[in-house]
Amino acid sequence: MTYGRVVLSAILAMFLFLFIAADLVLFGVIPLNSVIVTVLPLVGLVVGALLGVMARKRNPDAMPEEPTPAAA
Amino acid sequence: MKFRYLPLGAVAIGFVLLGSVSPAHADIPGTDDCQASGTWLDDGLVVFAETDGGVYTIPDSDTVAWEGSVAAPPGEYSGEIWLEMPPPFAGWSIDSWGGDSDNTGNDGTYEYDFPSWVPAGVEFDVKGEHFDENGGCSGTIAFELDGGPFDSPATFVALAVTLLFAILTGLALKPLFVGGA
Repeated sequence: MTYGRVVLSAILAMFLFLFIAADLVLFGVIPLNSVIVTVLPLVGLVVGALLGVMARKRNPDAMPEEPTPAAA
Repeated sequence: MKFRYLPLGAVAIGFVLLGSVSPAHADIPGTDDCQASGTWLDDGLVVFAETDGGVYTIPDSDTVAWEGSVAAPPGEYSGEIWLEMPPPFAGWSIDSWGGDSDNTGNDGTYEYDFPSWVPAGVEFDVKGEHFDENGGCSGTIAFELDGGPFDSPATFVALAVTLLFAILTGLALKPLFVGGA
């Protein structure tokens, strides 16, 4: 069992939320020093991991097979 | 000895030590009776540190005539002004000063010209503090550059990178959208 999809989803979502925060700053929705800029990437990390777990459960066939004993 | 008083850099580039929401002639918060002001020579904007003006919109280039003072000869003094960053990052120092003087005031002009990539319309908080043998004072001012978000190429880059990560995240979570086996 691997957690590659979970980790990948978490990291990608963290960066996605980080740049969403940057967009909010650039469009003047929140000030530069808003705590939201700090919180959003962390939220992305958690949300990405949770969605990654759900995706992993939804599609177990896509996960690499566990090594099986040579002689059953 | 050149005596740089209240936030030279602050007032110079428009970041005057700003007092709290207080009536005119009130002091900047502190025990040192600090006062400061800045005038944007081309734009005509005048900022008094004692008056809360909300978010000041300043041009991306101008020359600021600044002045600052304290009530009594300061003796040994020090201070700093910095740009507030999102926590947990430390502030970005703009200018600092220190020394030993009996002068109670200083003034000058400062010409600035922000590069085009600096985003307009973004609210920045700049904080400053000054300490000397009579006490100290501190203040905050909020400002933004005149213009809109699409005046800076940084906005296009940020939007493009956001879209890129949205696509990559969507691909990583593809089983959620197409259904599992």
